[in-house]
Amino acid sequence: MSGDMDDILLVFFQECEEQLQELERGLSALSDGESGKETINAVFRAVHSVKGGAASFGLENLVRFAHVFESSLDGLRSGRVAPTPEIVKTFLKAMDVLSDLVAEAQDGATVDADRIEESRTELQTIIGEGSGNAGQKEEETVPADFAPVPVDFEPVMADFDFGDFGFEEDAQADAASLVVTFSPHTAMYDRGDDARNLLIGLSDVAVAHGGASLVTCETAGLPALAGLETEKSYLSWRVVLPAAVPEESVHTVFDWVSDVCDVTITRDGGSSPGGEEELPEAQATPTEEPEETPAPVVTNAAPVQAPVAASPAHAPISVAEKIMAELPPAPTPAATAPIAVGNAAATRRPVEQATIRVDLHRVDDLMDLVGELVIAQAALESIGQREDGGQQEMIKRIASMKTLTRDIQDAVMAVRAQPVRSVFQRMQRVVREACSMTNKDVVLTLEGEDTEVDRTLVEKLSDPLTHMLRNAVDHGIESAEDRIAAGKPPAGQILLSAGHRSGRILITIKDDGGGINRERVLATAVKRGIIAPDAVLTDDEINNLIFAPGFSTASTVSNLSGRGVGMDVVKQAILGLGGRVTISSVEGQGTTFCLSLPLTLAVLDGMLIVAAGSTMVVPVSSVVETMMVNHQDIYMLPDGANVVSIRGACMPLIPLASELGLGGYNAGGPSEEDVILVVENESGARAALIVEDIRDQAQVVIKSIEKNYRQMSGVSAATILGDGSVSLILDVPALVANALGRIDTRPSDVRTGLAA
Amino acid sequence: MTDEAGADTKLVKMIVFAVGEQEYCIPILSVREIRGFEKTTALPFAPHYVCGAINLRGIILTVIDLAVYLNVEPQPDNPRRVVIIVESRNGTVCGLLVDRVIDMADVNLADIQAVAEEDSSLSGLVMIADRMIGVLRLEVVVGQLVGGMTS
Repeated sequence: MSGDMDDILLVFFQECEEQLQELERGLSALSDGESGKETINAVFRAVHSVKGGAASFGLENLVRFAHVFESSLDGLRSGRVAPTPEIVKTFLKAMDVLSDLVAEAQDGATVDADRIEESRTELQTIIGEGSGNAGQKEEETVPADFAPVPVDFEPVMADFDFGDFGFEEDAQADAASLVVTFSPHTAMYDRGDDARNLLIGLSDVAVAHGGASLVTCETAGLPALAGLETEKSYLSWRVVLPAAVPEESVHTVFDWVSDVCDVTITRDGGSSPGGEEELPEAQATPTEEPEETPAPVVTNAAPVQAPVAASPAHAPISVAEKIMAELPPAPTPAATAPIAVGNAAATRRPVEQATIRVDLHRVDDLMDLVGELVIAQAALESIGQREDGGQQEMIKRIASMKTLTRDIQDAVMAVRAQPVRSVFQRMQRVVREACSMTNKDVVLTLEGEDTEVDRTLVEKLSDPLTHMLRNAVDHGIESAEDRIAAGKPPAGQILLSAGHRSGRILITIKDDGGGINRERVLATAVKRGIIAPDAVLTDDEINNLIFAPGFSTASTVSNLSGRGVGMDVVKQAILGLGGRVTISSVEGQGTTFCLSLPLTLAVLDGMLIVAAGSTMVVPVSSVVETMMVNHQDIYMLPDGANVVSIRGACMPLIPLASELGLGGYNAGGPSEEDVILVVENESGARAALIVEDIRDQAQVVIKSIEKNYRQMSGVSAATILGDGSVSLILDVPALVANALGRIDTRPSDVRTGLAA
Repeated sequence: MTDEAGADTKLVKMIVFAVGEQEYCIPILSVREIRGFEKTTALPFAPHYVCGAINLRGIILTVIDLAVYLNVEPQPDNPRRVVIIVESRNGTVCGLLVDRVIDMADVNLADIQAVAEEDSSLSGLVMIADRMIGVLRLEVVVGQLVGGMTS
């Protein structure tokens, strides 16, 4: 199949993502005890849509599993199975398998067959139990025309009898009633379609034209039960429609299946009902040839067709099919896949999706703003053409244009913004898996999933959060016995929350575990040579040791954590996003990690300063204060470096020009014209930068220079100023870290103590 | 192009430019554009032959002073200095500051006489109209810019 098919497949996967999210949301709601009909239906629909779509593409594994999943969910829906926590857990597990299967279909990473089998068995047990315990009840919920264990083939025929469609026996043969015979190929069922859908379609057509349809089932092709292959299609149908029905509308019904179903349409002239393959002789429109494409397009497809003569465990499947068809919002499988191009809200790790879903009103806002921009430009133009120059007017216009530009920028950022929900919901699974590996019981609570962040950030948050949550489960939460001994409920609690704080996003991971054991951390750090044995550290510094490369207190290396990579990687990742990580921990009560991240990675508020004659940008967020140089406050250390005391706090003095290796630094220390910039890194450590001048404060667009040049220490990126020249954006944390590495100063606790 | 081509008589269009008294050439297909020299922004810890960074329609790229790089005396007070923007095969874009661009020439790869080692920035010499012209190996020149942290 060509690129078209690939496109459709892509859409299918995107939709799978959405369905899986829907599923996850529904199941979380269920586990929170909210077992309303809406929720259950939503869950059911999600699985059904995945199955239907998968069947259209012949994704066998996926279909098989989704099928079992769907059947057991049906048990839930029909009320035979109560959504107890255990059962919801099984469903959650099955959902993980399902999403893995989707991923498998997408890029081929095979899913462990045992896991699928295990989950499948669990699912089947659910309905098995359901029918076992409530056999009586089942009788009521299952439609009367359905017999769970077919002894011979009769009951199944009854299933397709469609007494509920209001067929009337006496609708027989008007002068020119339309006779449609069709025999579906096995491939049609493989696609997830059903003869039932066609029959419904035909009867709808009949009703629309004021008549009724008469259906007879041809069982001539049916072999003896012993020779029956359950996954093969043997039946064909003959439907007599009223004369008023035009052939076109019948063709429409068969549009989707024309390649996998033999259809004959005849105008019955009142004579005896024609044989199945009898060609239309007196046909009114010979152009409407029966569509007899020799079918099998999908050959390796999966058995979606309800296994008719199967075990009781499989029996409710047909019911599922049936109920689904009656449920208005449930999309039919054929319709599921190819529609809705451009849906791509969710993103899954390996594949970066290139589309986003945006609220229409945001795009409208943007459009409005652009309209205003056009007007503003016209206004400027007219001022420019005026004879008297219009200086005053011009300045006013430019000022308003500035506001406009900023609004547009905000609007564009809003378009790129995405709720963190997609990442957060993924974390449920991470915690679940970590729990089953460590045999702990942990409940992850999500808060503020609607907080919106720039799309690039959302994607990059996934890995750090995964690491941190695994750590929280593995190291943070104690074992159930320990928890009971400490007087806590046996199930651990982890809170993952997101929110906006003064132009940044704050993500908090809070567990109610044992907290950081500082003595152990210190001892381990000494043992691993991360710090000197005689080092004296504050509590905060000890907490931060867990971010040191190679640090791990886990006595045994599990496959979950304990290899000593992880937290330092987390920290690097967060720093790379321009964020910072802080830890607070109370022994015995838990640990809280706070990630503070910028809202966007594209633009930053910068302070334009001059060093070594060239303009550079310092992110405003890292500037604490600015001041004039006062020589009395500067002390020279024996190694030639300087420290400055600002209101009693000593911090290293960094002459920016020489720090960056640009131009000499006059040995006499900073001159009177220079300015001191007190800057702060993510953990609150401060340093003073000496710059020549402060020019301006402006928003700058971040441009990478690493594509065409190597990485430079002390410089994080570059930007282009209003005059078109290139300006460097300083990497303040790196500068501070460099300076602190040379001069050992206490962090800001001391400073606040003195300054207070 | 700058490979030591074997016996094949493949013609490659080269752009010939002068750095100091010496003339050099590079394949014309690697040239993106030629523009006047403008003020560059100094980069910290840059090698001495890097003039700095310029803005090329939103892309930030570095400019290499070829005179310094090749260790030749630049022409003093030359108003005709231009920057040749080149793109190397691995996609790195950078500018080469040269004293002036002379012309184009068809160079037969077989005529290039190898002069130096594999990893040298000069892949050989070629005679064009009785002038000795060095053939620059762009990958080496540009490749030194990327990769590796500055210490």
